Amino acid sequence: MSKVHLFLLLLIAVAAGVILSTVDESSSYEDFATAEAYPGKEFHVVGTLHNPSEMEYNPLKDPNLFRFFLKDQKGAVRQVVYHDSKPQDFERSEQVVIIGKMSGSAFEASKILTKCPSKYNEDSIEVAPNTRTSLRMLKSVAQYPFLERTL
Amino acid sequence: MTYTGEWLLPGELGHAAVLLSFFTALLGVISFGAQTRGIQGGRTLSWQGLGRWAFGLHALAVVSIGIVLFVIIYQHRYEYHYAWSHASRALPTHYIISAFWEGQEGSFLLWMFWNVVLGLSLIRTAGRWEAPVMVFVSLAQLMLSSMLLGLYVGDIKIGSSPFVLLRETMQAPIFQQTDYLKFITDGNGLNPLLQNPWMVIHPPVLFLGFASTLVPFAYAMGGLATRQYGEWVRPALPWTLFATAMLGTGIVMGAAWAYESLNFGGYWAWDPVENASLIPWLCLVGGLHLMHAWEKRKQSLPSATILIIFSYLLVLYATFLTRSGILGDSSVHAFTDLGMSGQLLVFLFAFVLSAAILLALSWKRLPRQPQEEPLWSREFWLFMGSLVMALGAFQVLFSTSIPVWNQIFGTNLAPPADVVAYYNRWQLPFAVLILLLGTLAHLLPYKGRPSLPLKKWLLFLIVPSLLLTAGIAVPLQYTNWTYILLLASSLLAILGHVGLLWQQRKKWLRSGGAVAHIGFALMMVGVLISASRREVVSVNRSGYAYGGQFDEKQNRENVLLWKGEALDMPPYRVTYLGDSVSEPNHYYKVQYEERNKNGDVVDRFVLLPNAQINPKMGLIATPDTRHYTFSDLYTHVTQVMDKEATGGGKEWGPPEPLLLSGSGDTVMVRDGLLIFEGITTELPGDLTTQLQDAEVKVAAQVTWKAMKETYQLRPVYAIRNGVEFRFDDVREEAGINLSFRRIHPDKKQIELAASVAAPEPRDYIIMKALRFPMINLLWLGAVLTTLGLSMAVVVRHCEKNGPPSIAFSKNDDKG
Repeated sequence: MSKVHLFLLLLIAVAAGVILSTVDESSSYEDFATAEAYPGKEFHVVGTLHNPSEMEYNPLKDPNLFRFFLKDQKGAVRQVVYHDSKPQDFERSEQVVIIGKMSGSAFEASKILTKCPSKYNEDSIEVAPNTRTSLRMLKSVAQYPFLERTL
Repeated sequence: MTYTGEWLLPGELGHAAVLLSFFTALLGVISFGAQTRGIQGGRTLSWQGLGRWAFGLHALAVVSIGIVLFVIIYQHRYEYHYAWSHASRALPTHYIISAFWEGQEGSFLLWMFWNVVLGLSLIRTAGRWEAPVMVFVSLAQLMLSSMLLGLYVGDIKIGSSPFVLLRETMQAPIFQQTDYLKFITDGNGLNPLLQNPWMVIHPPVLFLGFASTLVPFAYAMGGLATRQYGEWVRPALPWTLFATAMLGTGIVMGAAWAYESLNFGGYWAWDPVENASLIPWLCLVGGLHLMHAWEKRKQSLPSATILIIFSYLLVLYATFLTRSGILGDSSVHAFTDLGMSGQLLVFLFAFVLSAAILLALSWKRLPRQPQEEPLWSREFWLFMGSLVMALGAFQVLFSTSIPVWNQIFGTNLAPPADVVAYYNRWQLPFAVLILLLGTLAHLLPYKGRPSLPLKKWLLFLIVPSLLLTAGIAVPLQYTNWTYILLLASSLLAILGHVGLLWQQRKKWLRSGGAVAHIGFALMMVGVLISASRREVVSVNRSGYAYGGQFDEKQNRENVLLWKGEALDMPPYRVTYLGDSVSEPNHYYKVQYEERNKNGDVVDRFVLLPNAQINPKMGLIATPDTRHYTFSDLYTHVTQVMDKEATGGGKEWGPPEPLLLSGSGDTVMVRDGLLIFEGITTELPGDLTTQLQDAEVKVAAQVTWKAMKETYQLRPVYAIRNGVEFRFDDVREEAGINLSFRRIHPDKKQIELAASVAAPEPRDYIIMKALRFPMINLLWLGAVLTTLGLSMAVVVRHCEKNGPPSIAFSKNDDKG
């Protein structure tokens, strides 16, 4: 059974390589301080959107530039630059994971993952006389300009 | 408190059916188990008969659960949480079917349904294997039906019932009212990402794949339990082939779904949920080949048994990964957590433990070949290839499980930053090895030959495939050695198996293996070329300075297209023509014109990428793809103009006061002339009756001459009981809002205020266009693989019972 044994040994070696490489190449969830300490190395940074009004995405000027400020879990705030279009529903995310590296004073993200409050099934009930229908009613009222009154 | 309008009967029936399915599955385990252990019942009791009855009832119960749940969803009975959270009135019927299995409970039910179908056909066909196999089928059904129980034992919740009422799951003041149902007029609806034809067909196929891996597992376990260590292989072979075909088709369908209608720009992203279904498939394929080695040469039985058992355990592990919420941030499409991770772990460990115990007890007794396989024999290389596949599965498994390692060891690892590059680095060499070993094994006969026919191979196989490789790699400008190796080994596999097909052309039905291998190799070529030479057509060429901070090689895949303004994206000239709405989809017409060197249009077509602008999830884009024979042009929108915000509800500028004293007074408002004609007491519309008792009621007569049209405006001013009322004349279509502010009797003037709408903004889209060359090879290869496997299922099924047509079968089956 020598050649099978030899082959099995080889397999075990490769399997060990797999384990080592997973541990070695896996990124880690860190904060901005660590990312700054190792510029050029890629990390996952978890945080929340800071100061949404300073979020900058103007597709008419450059559809591949999205900038915002992220506050990491330790409270440090850095600008994040993302060279792609703004992820949908970004404002509503309660948590943001950015993957990328520090470049100068800004974090250059290659990927952004957002976590929305609960993906789709919002646990709130919309009942019939709800806000949305009443909004729709208001709009239809607006079709009759003479009924709109200002006191 | 009694509620009105609720229809509670189906829920009660459903609950009863769930309980029935659970207990009949339990009874099935007990009776088939007793039959397997050879326990004699009384004279009147046959364990086998009892087991069949139990499973028959179980089948009835499962089908009833399905029918009741479907009726609830189809009838929009929103008193039930499941219907409320997965369906809505706007859903067309085919998506009502998708809503059925969108949730965890429904998809468990789908899985159970397939297990029932498989179980019933096993009862019909398995013969003496019926009892030992059905024990494990019933055990799986016991575990699955427990997921639907929705019972509380103390504080522990067992299962999640699809028949829970909305008012039982949610706290809301509305439920204080007995007639609360009147106010719940619509459900939450199907996740728009899942409102897609693929969602109708992909889950049934994938779950059939998951379910069918149970059969070879049950045979292997039954073989161990009844000490028929090798005998299970023959009857399990067609089932293993079937499971491989189904699970493989399910995975490829998922890839096609992602490619055709999701917008991540590809068909495979090494996402944990995708990986979770790939791992058991790799294991299953390894096991399948070793089963052949055992069938033909009585080799490698322990490895075959282990791989087949692992493949089902890995299906259960995949279920745990995707449904327990443990993947959390690392996946884009896991199920929402129902708090059943504990129960899922019990399910997994029950099967892991029983498999481990059975394997440990019989390990020493598993038949092994005393002498080694000859080096140049098919069985030896089958063994090698299968172990490489298992190793590949292990690599995906270990890396995908990072969130699990974090839970167990308290570490803080994240998946590699560039997941795709990471997996490709490992899996490409594995694919090369598997292709080479598979071809080598197929070219060699069982029992082996003393030496290789190297001259013949060089002449007909190796040299031609290397020449072909050069012919393809040079124009593609490949410099990466892994790519060249993968291409060469795929071409070698194709040529080798085409040769085999030619040799076996008189027994073509028996060449399923060769067809499947050609299919797999073609898939690899398709994957390699379409992924490595994926081309961004929509490169953004408008340069902007980023302050020199970032290098220029950033991906700039999104381009801005103004409506009606053509943009060159070689070889196309692309124009956004406008959009059309067919709720809930907005279609964006993007016209492509291909020109030759003289500037003549040689091809013109319109793609309709669409987007749903969903109030809950924002923009959900679905690409549209132009399929050519040798490449695909893929287009999707990433941003669109928000017409709700800018067009629908007009934005009015600040009111501009206008003082007018006599008829004929004219002022300029925006691009039109506003002429004051005078004051009248004739009020427009029904205001005359409304303002009967008002002290003052006057209307201003104003003509507004805009660019194209002239409008007569009648803003009204009234005083009733000393309070001022104003009735503005709002003309959305003209973009003017005229208000009668007040009368200045002292100056003999009236004061109007005009606000004008902001000018219509120009329409635009931001889009991405990608070209995937040779992607059709991927789909063609997948079809061939399934075809080859199906041919093999037919052949193996026919010889399962009858005498095998292979010569050395004397000591095979004792039965």
